[in-house]
Amino acid sequence: MDETVAEYIRRTVLKIPRDEIKMILQKWGFLSEAQLETINFHQIKDNISQDVVQLCEENSADIKQAAVLDIIYNNIYPNKRIWSVYQMNKTGEETEFFDLTDFKKKFKRLLRSALKNVTINFREYEDNAIWIRIAWGTPYTKPNQYKTSYVVYHSQTPYVFISASVLRSNLPLLCQALVVASNYQDIREMELRSHSLNSLKDIVFKRYSQNFQTYCPRPLTERNVAPETVDLRIIQENRNEKERIQRLNREVFGDGPQPKIEFAQYKLETMFKSDPKMDVLDKKEPFRCLVKFSSPHLLESLKSLAPAGMADAPLSPLLTCIPQKARNYFKIREKKGFLPGSFVSP
Amino acid sequence: GVFAHLELLEAQAYEAAVKQEEMEQQEEKLARLKARVQELRLQRDKLRAKVDLQQKEQLGKEGAVSNPAQPSARAVLEWKIKSLKAMLQIFYLTGISGKLSKRGVCFCISTAYEGTYLDSYHLDLLTKPEVQIYRHSIPIFIPLQQIAKKYLQTDIRRFLSVLSDHLNAYVGRRYQADQLQEHFSGQIKGALQRNSLCNLLVFNYNVSTESKTFPFNVRLVYGDPCCSLPTKVVISCT
Repeated sequence: MDETVAEYIRRTVLKIPRDEIKMILQKWGFLSEAQLETINFHQIKDNISQDVVQLCEENSADIKQAAVLDIIYNNIYPNKRIWSVYQMNKTGEETEFFDLTDFKKKFKRLLRSALKNVTINFREYEDNAIWIRIAWGTPYTKPNQYKTSYVVYHSQTPYVFISASVLRSNLPLLCQALVVASNYQDIREMELRSHSLNSLKDIVFKRYSQNFQTYCPRPLTERNVAPETVDLRIIQENRNEKERIQRLNREVFGDGPQPKIEFAQYKLETMFKSDPKMDVLDKKEPFRCLVKFSSPHLLESLKSLAPAGMADAPLSPLLTCIPQKARNYFKIREKKGFLPGSFVSP
Repeated sequence: GVFAHLELLEAQAYEAAVKQEEMEQQEEKLARLKARVQELRLQRDKLRAKVDLQQKEQLGKEGAVSNPAQPSARAVLEWKIKSLKAMLQIFYLTGISGKLSKRGVCFCISTAYEGTYLDSYHLDLLTKPEVQIYRHSIPIFIPLQQIAKKYLQTDIRRFLSVLSDHLNAYVGRRYQADQLQEHFSGQIKGALQRNSLCNLLVFNYNVSTESKTFPFNVRLVYGDPCCSLPTKVVISCT
């Protein structure tokens, strides 16, 4: 077995939390159950990974199997990477019969015709997600297995999720390969980025909870009936206001969990509005400013602002439109910009 | 001296004010209780009158059913709830139901395949200035924009009907593919290749005789997006 492959497998195993190593190796399926039984998963990770490498040596693992292990790891821990969303376009209206074998063939062919030194691996998942792992090399060097890009594509959809990693120079080639292989015409990067791949999928596939008013005979969720500690001596003075805020919040955010994004960025190219007598800026040019909201879970925190009393309800549509507009990077310009107005007011 | 005297007067005035307030409170309470007594008396009279009336009616109706056909309020409410639930169930069974919203209509398209109820999808439409889709939960691979472009403005019934056909066919195909994977996992060799719309299924299986095993490859193409049965089948022996 190639030394580089051994080292790569060793490092991949080291990334996995100790309690999950056995499960992931089982998913990988390269080592038999009997072989896995021989490993002591309670020792320190260094030793576990050495044992694994030894067993892989016995089975003569090559880079392909090692790459599959890497895909499995990234599929289980996708939040370690940052994902961007790309949108593809086409003008035709015929129904697409997405043929997976065809897609893989076209994709590989296009990449390999431009760059001989690439490692390309595919793995399909139950939810129709196709994971593509690409390790990039140069015309003169072998592919660097530690500089990988990941692509997640659901067939017959116009959205591609790419975690490009360091080598952005290969991005145009990657995009072209995707467009050709999936029978689209062009591709553009959306202003939507996050660590949470599933939340990005929720946003563009519209899987997040939108509060639809229908007569669907679902059992009503017991949301209002939570018995508050009824102390009759306490009088809710602001009950009406509280209920108004709850109602508005529910209308905007829905009932379910919000997609998880970590930041929203607003690039302002608007004029600074001040008292002309103050003469703060004698040149009338746009006041360039970047406003960035960041949070471990931005949308949930926005949802809790009004009920916590930290902001007035309703919140600014600039903040609440994020899932519907499927973007978290905005440019706000004067007049014809996104919304008339200069500053974001939560 | 003067100050002490003033303090004394102040204390007296304060006491007097407190007493006055107490008296006023007492009077208020009394008035309230009197009013309450009046209320209760009125209610008692009304109930008495009702009881008298009922007794008279019972005496008057000779040979009538002993229990008057006057259902209790509770029974009426229960009947109303039951018939409402039945109505909602009917809407659900037709597959398309709608509710007027503040700015338009919200439709719910329910799908089913051969007696099994599957997913429901929602469409929030605005009606002013023209009919347009505000938001929806239709899967991204259903050609919603195409169908909307053709029918939404002109014939909304047709729009909903076509969309419902697409959705029902999609869930039907998906359900069949899932069932195939679940019940025939032993016979299928390798993985069942499918796609988001489930309009192309490719799989391999073996047919064994006593002497030989023949590997077969099947390719099911569902050409009609509104149909849950394949339009073309290619079976080859590899």
